[in-house]
Amino acid sequence: MPREAEPSANEKAFLLKALQDEQIRLDGREFDAYRPLELTFGDEYGVANVSLGKTKILAKASAEVTVPFADRPLDGIFTIATELSPMTAPHFEVNRPTETEVLLSRLLEKTVRRSGALDTESLCLVAGQKCWSVRVDVHVLSHDGNLTDAACFAVVAALRHFRKPDTSMENGVLTVYTPAEREPVPLGWLHSPFCVTWSFFGDEGETALLDADWMEEQVRVASVTISLNRHGEICQIAKLGGVPVEAVALLQCTSVALTKVKEFSTYLDSKLAEDAKRRDKGGFMAELRAENDRVVG
Amino acid sequence: MPLDTSAYSLALLRVDGRRWNELRRIHAQIRTQAAADGSSYLEMGHTKVMCVVNGPSEPGPRRGGVATGGGGGGGGGQSKNAEVAVNIVIAGFSSVDRKRRGRGDKQVFELQSTISQALAASLHTHLFPHSTINISLHVLSQDGSLLAALINAATLACVDAGIPMTDYVAACTAGSTSTYAANDEGADPLLDMNHQEEQELPGLTVATLGDSDRVAVLVCESRVQVSRLEGMLAVGVDGCKQVREILDRVVREKGIKMIQEGTVERGVGLNDMELD
Amino acid sequence: MSTESPLVVLPGESIDPSLIPTHHKNPLRLGPGLRHIPPSEIVPTVAGQLVVDNRKTSMWIEYNGGRYIPSQNDLIIGQIVRSATDFYYVSLSPYTPNATLPHLAFESATKKTRPQLSPGELVYARVSLANKHMDPELECVSPSTGKADGLGPLKDGMVFDVSLGFARRLLMAKSREEGKVEVLEALGEDGLGFEIAVGRNGKVWVNSESTKTVVLVGRALRETDEKNLGVEAQRKLVKKLVREMR
Repeated sequence: MPREAEPSANEKAFLLKALQDEQIRLDGREFDAYRPLELTFGDEYGVANVSLGKTKILAKASAEVTVPFADRPLDGIFTIATELSPMTAPHFEVNRPTETEVLLSRLLEKTVRRSGALDTESLCLVAGQKCWSVRVDVHVLSHDGNLTDAACFAVVAALRHFRKPDTSMENGVLTVYTPAEREPVPLGWLHSPFCVTWSFFGDEGETALLDADWMEEQVRVASVTISLNRHGEICQIAKLGGVPVEAVALLQCTSVALTKVKEFSTYLDSKLAEDAKRRDKGGFMAELRAENDRVVG
Repeated sequence: MPLDTSAYSLALLRVDGRRWNELRRIHAQIRTQAAADGSSYLEMGHTKVMCVVNGPSEPGPRRGGVATGGGGGGGGGQSKNAEVAVNIVIAGFSSVDRKRRGRGDKQVFELQSTISQALAASLHTHLFPHSTINISLHVLSQDGSLLAALINAATLACVDAGIPMTDYVAACTAGSTSTYAANDEGADPLLDMNHQEEQELPGLTVATLGDSDRVAVLVCESRVQVSRLEGMLAVGVDGCKQVREILDRVVREKGIKMIQEGTVERGVGLNDMELD
Repeated sequence: MSTESPLVVLPGESIDPSLIPTHHKNPLRLGPGLRHIPPSEIVPTVAGQLVVDNRKTSMWIEYNGGRYIPSQNDLIIGQIVRSATDFYYVSLSPYTPNATLPHLAFESATKKTRPQLSPGELVYARVSLANKHMDPELECVSPSTGKADGLGPLKDGMVFDVSLGFARRLLMAKSREEGKVEVLEALGEDGLGFEIAVGRNGKVWVNSESTKTVVLVGRALRETDEKNLGVEAQRKLVKKLVREMR
């Protein structure tokens, strides 16, 4: 198994010196600034392509009809699958999850699934017999630090963009309509949580940075990921060990995180609206047209 | 689910009869296993865990499913710092529902990784290059605050193993009486949640280093208003200090006992310690 | 170098025989990216720009990308991985086999006075041996004169990753005319003092008294490389960065 690449001693020392003595980051960003975040949707519903600087993530949502779990007959199934493949970096192997991968998938799970962002009860079709199973696949295409925030944004964007086929129940017969028959419907969405990760540097973790890139992640002594939605609800906080940080500093991090989450939320809303406009070419009038789009031969 | 905790507002007493700022009974022992370098047994209410520490020693063959931390630089036995390997076994009989946990259970992996990273920052791992500190934790009974109990047990066992460390890493949980939906301002923070409270109320686990307000671990897994965080954190940090006192007392009592029994010589630093 | 418009070739394409330089005495020399299939066929093995030098009867393919493949006499910046009995293992790029650097391949090094390098430190070295199926070997001393010629351990400073093509352009003897790189000159003219070492493996080491200067040089290099800036744009970029820093 190839070992993970590691920055040289010179690079580590220089990065810390620049941060602590001169208060500058190598790419000239402010301490609380994100790299440019970009989101594009695919042609299909439920495909979100997120890039945060050089970190690139693709999330794809899909749905199928299955049997619900026996202990939760009224709930649909919702899973998030995270994959760090050798495409990301050669030291990630398929089917052997690394620490990064496990912690990433746990964080997404806690942020999106456990916080109840998706209304799983609305995925139930026939109690105890049929339900939707919604699955989001997260593919990390390129890793330049801060996978968590980018991946979480991608998952939320993909789910909000996703449309599942429309269904109806008549006399105990379940019909699933193709997109041609009925327009697919969006998922029952309750709130949009986003992750914000702070990285700490220095002996006592006194320097805090947002959106650390790969090099900064290699040097940091601790990190905390805070998940919030724009209503100011914490969905999850994870400071999993590392150098202890002042409690007051953590509270400050949380309040800055809230403003960032509001920015994310606005950005995602505007992107979704833009995409909806792009898809809805003719608007309502096009639907009402009587002519067929038949090709005249 | 009927909310048993809804009775709280009437008498300001929690389901198990505690007030908001009371810890459950903490009972701890160290040096419980003669064969290990360090060991401990800890009860926080009905949560019971055991910890065994081996090392620092030469790294053995790498096993799967063990979270490691602190091995900055190199890795694979080449590192300048000792590696802290944590392994958690959750007994099938520890909780009401006998849930089988596979080896690849992500939640257990996360616990292992958290404990490993938290202790690696407090232990002086730079004194033991190219070596491993093996910590194995066994959960015998679960009744809430599992992560906190595991961290406390691991700290005690590391003290018993004589591994130099900055200070105790003491942990406890804190919660809030308001659910995320209810936006009432009169919500009280709660200290040290049991299983039932963890199920119903938002809460967090916090671990601090020694007497300071510095937070080593902060894990919150439930939805809660941002405004509640400060209160919960303050109560949690305060609880950690109480826990630290208790852990410290356990270590000192054991030390005194060992001197009295003659297992260890009375050291230089112990002169000012009262023996009774 | 040919002056006509760049000719782009793809792997396996046939090359117009009229392009192949001939000389009555000198043999034809093939550079990177070309393969000779006896008796007389020359096939490109990578996609890139075909460059023909009639004067030196040589041809090669200029391409930017992929990872560094060591070839003899390249100057590289390597990272010490670990030390063995009489040589260091040095990593030239991540996830590739390590190169070896003998302990005694430093200027006036003896068993007792050799530099002690610990894992993670950097060296500026020359590739002394590069074969296809063997790990490359490095040296930090000129074998003929025994002098370091600027090679050796690199202390402090910062390393910036650039593309291989850009590193090559920086290393050209006439980098301004042939490589179209003027960013370093422009930085120097603005009164910034810094030391620099360029590794053919896409690494540039920069050191200076002032941390800010190092960061500025690094950003200028990276941006020039990533955005593929022309000479004018490079000057403009440097002006902009210098203004921001002050």
